[in-house]
Amino acid sequence: MSAGVCFHCALPVDRLGEFQVEIAGELKSVCCPGCKAVAELIRDTGMTNYYAMRESAQPGAGRPADDAAEWQIYDRDDMFTAFAHADGDSAEATIYVGGMYCAACSWLIETTLARLDGIVSAEVSPVTHRLRVRWHIAQLRLGQILKSLADLGYDPQPLAPESATRPEVAEQRAALKRLLVASIGMMQVMMFAVGLYAGDFQGMDVTMQRFLRVVSFVVTTPVVFYAARPFFAGAWRGIISRMPGMDLPVSIAIAAAYIGSVYAMLTNGPAVWFDSVVMFVFFLTLGRFLEMRARHRSIDRSTALSTVLPNTVTRIDGEEQLVIPASHLVTGDLLLVRPGESIPADGFLTEGMTMVDEALLTGEAEPRPKSINDSLIAGSINLDGVIRMRVEKTGGDTTLGIISRMSERARYARPAFVQLADRIASYVVIAILVIAAVVASVWYVAAPDRAFVITLSVLVVTCPCALALATPAAFAAAGTRLSELHLLVTDGNAIEALSKATRVLFDKTGTLTRGVPVIVSTRIFDESFEESQCLRIAAALETVSTHPIASAFRVQDNESVATDQRVAVGDGVTGVIDGQRWRLGRFDYVARDTTAAARRLQTTSVYLGTDAGVIARFDLDDEIRPGVAATLQQLKGLGLTPGLVSGDSKEPVSRVAATLGISDYHYGCTPEDKLEIIRSAQQAGNTVIMVGDGINDAPVLAGANASVAPVHGALLAQASADVIMLGESLEPIVRGVLTARKTMRIVKQNLAWAIVYNAAALPLAALGYVPPWAAAIGMSASSLIVVLNALRLSGYGAP
Amino acid sequence: MNILYVLIPLALLLLGGAVWAFFWAVSSGQFDDLDTPAVRVVMDDDEKPPENPAP
Repeated sequence: MSAGVCFHCALPVDRLGEFQVEIAGELKSVCCPGCKAVAELIRDTGMTNYYAMRESAQPGAGRPADDAAEWQIYDRDDMFTAFAHADGDSAEATIYVGGMYCAACSWLIETTLARLDGIVSAEVSPVTHRLRVRWHIAQLRLGQILKSLADLGYDPQPLAPESATRPEVAEQRAALKRLLVASIGMMQVMMFAVGLYAGDFQGMDVTMQRFLRVVSFVVTTPVVFYAARPFFAGAWRGIISRMPGMDLPVSIAIAAAYIGSVYAMLTNGPAVWFDSVVMFVFFLTLGRFLEMRARHRSIDRSTALSTVLPNTVTRIDGEEQLVIPASHLVTGDLLLVRPGESIPADGFLTEGMTMVDEALLTGEAEPRPKSINDSLIAGSINLDGVIRMRVEKTGGDTTLGIISRMSERARYARPAFVQLADRIASYVVIAILVIAAVVASVWYVAAPDRAFVITLSVLVVTCPCALALATPAAFAAAGTRLSELHLLVTDGNAIEALSKATRVLFDKTGTLTRGVPVIVSTRIFDESFEESQCLRIAAALETVSTHPIASAFRVQDNESVATDQRVAVGDGVTGVIDGQRWRLGRFDYVARDTTAAARRLQTTSVYLGTDAGVIARFDLDDEIRPGVAATLQQLKGLGLTPGLVSGDSKEPVSRVAATLGISDYHYGCTPEDKLEIIRSAQQAGNTVIMVGDGINDAPVLAGANASVAPVHGALLAQASADVIMLGESLEPIVRGVLTARKTMRIVKQNLAWAIVYNAAALPLAALGYVPPWAAAIGMSASSLIVVLNALRLSGYGAP
Repeated sequence: MNILYVLIPLALLLLGGAVWAFFWAVSSGQFDDLDTPAVRVVMDDDEKPPENPAP
């Protein structure tokens, strides 16, 4: 852990040594009193192990929220019925734990909860971030459980009991059952097959041989009709849509071998192939299962999105104000929203006025003024006024819900590269069927008794499984590896583009910079004041404000205390310090000059003044993210040229470009300009990666070969991006490019192997040198080699 | 060898029982999380809390 970074949450420490915690005899610096409290709690309860076990700390994770929520509300009965399921004298609830990022977190949570009196069981899944907790109603309340989670620095969010099982859980359960039936069936039938083969060599009682064939049939039947059903269904869909995938020859081979074996069993034929059937089905089912797991592994974004909405809302019933669970909201409800709270549903403002931060949806850091009858979007944050709103849409119908569904769809859709592989496979399939027919008719003339067995071998050995698996297996493994590197791939095509990229274009605000203002310079107009004094006064005034600018002024342990503070929406704040009334905000507000000229002054400066006049000016600017310069250096080392495109004016853009050593920068760009820059770069033969987070960037992102959106940016940008980047750092892009290059190498190896294998195996099988069981082993082994080669991507030591 | 005519059907019955038990376990959600159990065994509190834990 480098100095200057918080020991607990890995965010930068402003002043080293201001807050320190003694862990295992060493003094560690932390960034804020919140992290100090959490770290001390973890130490004092003997769980220091957490720090040793966790993966490298993700900046910001585990940092407690600034304002602790009112957890006692959850002790009430209506909250209990909304979020928990009572069962005798105990109750169960599912809680989404925001802020956890690795298995050590789940250990910390489980161990801490187990020490609470009254907990029956607590289990956390580090994959879905869900905690399932069961407790004794008499000894413990839901609010206490939530509070102990919040004390550890997590952001708990109780989830309403799920009405239906989530689709991916249902899919996984069905796949597990199929896999088990296929694997157990395979083991049993192979056992009987060993007996039958031994009988072929040593001689065997005919009754015993028939008996073993019948039991093989009994075990194979559920494998074919239950475990292999998806292949038949897929083949049927392929026929209907006239796009036969690799399910078709697979189904034909399974059905032919099964029916042929049943016929041989009934007529006492020379051989049965039940063993080939089950082995074939088992390896195919295993392949599908691994592919499904890779697909499910990306983070559960729908839940992550729902955490931006409040758990509880204040509803106004006539004169009364009622706190109710947000899930109980209906259209037409009248709600009270206080400053700092997020808007729980889509609707319009009915009373009051305020500024609203819609950055989550639009990526626009500048707050928007809202007055009566203006529309409000769920998930935006009410910054400074107490307002009332009428609910129009709730839950999944809100803009937020629709966008989150859009980005969710990518998880279930088969990416284009798989579709392409399927299309190629469908030609290969037709070729195989033709070859099999030719082989069958030739052998039918030459040696009718061997024709069936040889045709079966040809069908099995040439199954284009390895060919069809070559690309998806590598891409699935790469997807898993990239998600470990904090990159969520929503479009698999991006991997190829990442591997070939020659240019990286960055947006400025929110991407290269933090998107949060900091004070870069202070100018004092009145000589009798000092800079530190002005900053203290400003900080004291801003304590009431939830405006993003206020965070620039925040200091710890301020000795100045303001009274009678008021927020003038859209203008600034005012308050009394030591008997003097102060104002902080826009020039026209502080100087009480309402002329148009004063209004036009730039908004990146904040003024401080009294009734007597303006005293100081603070210039605010965006801070460059830590580590960006090093990341750009590494990208250059990989042969990628970084560039900067921004809608901002010349001065701040060129300053950032100069600081970071970017020679290729463009300022004042509209989205069309940005798109044009990408187009001309592409025409010059470049493959372009675009990294941007704003809503305006959505078309630009779509125009680039590969697009990356940070997770803290606008949802719309994420919905149109190929890759979503978690965390604060840009460093994952470097590792992403390295992983993508390795992936493409492995894809090429896999394709080469699959082609060589099929080309070598086909003539052997057609000439009758390969019995069906050997063909099944050959097919499975070639697929397995492809999968194992792909798994090298997810192993240790990968980039 | 005639004992096989009894033992193999018996084995198939046991197999059916095992498959039924597994199906029940999957349906009751015991296999929904395939990742945590693998790491959970590594993490146990081998470190005891101090004698007088801070309040």
